[in-house]
Amino acid sequence: MKNEPVIIERTLKASADRVWKAISDKDQLKKWFLDLAEFKPEVGFEFSFEGGPAQHLHLCKVTKVEYGKLLQYTWRFGGLRGDSLLTFELFPEGDSTKLILTHAGVETFPAEEVGTKEEFAEGWSNLLDSSLKVYLGKKED
Amino acid sequence: MIANQPMNLNAVAERFDISRPAISKQIKILTQCGLVTIEQRGRERYCEAKLQKLNEVSEWVEQYRVFWNQKLDALEDFLAKDIANETMNKPIKHKK
Repeated sequence: MKNEPVIIERTLKASADRVWKAISDKDQLKKWFLDLAEFKPEVGFEFSFEGGPAQHLHLCKVTKVEYGKLLQYTWRFGGLRGDSLLTFELFPEGDSTKLILTHAGVETFPAEEVGTKEEFAEGWSNLLDSSLKVYLGKKED
Repeated sequence: MIANQPMNLNAVAERFDISRPAISKQIKILTQCGLVTIEQRGRERYCEAKLQKLNEVSEWVEQYRVFWNQKLDALEDFLAKDIANETMNKPIKHKK
């Protein structure tokens, strides 16, 4: 069975401070990822949002913070079994920052709830369109 | 082994160095997981692998891989845009 975590590495052309802000500041998160009422990079902070792949209610709780370096929170769904852990790690590399995103435990979610690939893609691209693109579009005007 | 074609239980058992009852037990577990189905054909029982079940397991993994790649693209765009805006804004910023 495949249960290795999803690991994605990116080198971003920005300082670690700026990337840290982008992943931990409510106003910046809103611009590329999540529009939350509140976000605090503090262990125990809980937040939730609706949408995503299967249009579920997501429940998240911050589990680990190393200021400027590491941010980790749980990522699960209301009313569904399974629990996963999302970790952002930042490594300064000169003017750039290497970001390693690890999403572990995704396979614990019930397979029957995953929806079709199309539904999944649509859900996420809607999220992208509604938040990021609209915001960027406005900024360009 | 049974991924390519359904095989009868005895044939499966012959390929392993464990007892027939042990094989039956293993197959039963796989059946409960929905990974294998058993079909009665005359006197013999054939088992067939249901590999799409395995695909379902990894579906979330695959979807999240796509999702996070999209998100990190968005993050890259955001950071690039932000830098561009900062640079553009600099000349008109009033210094106190």
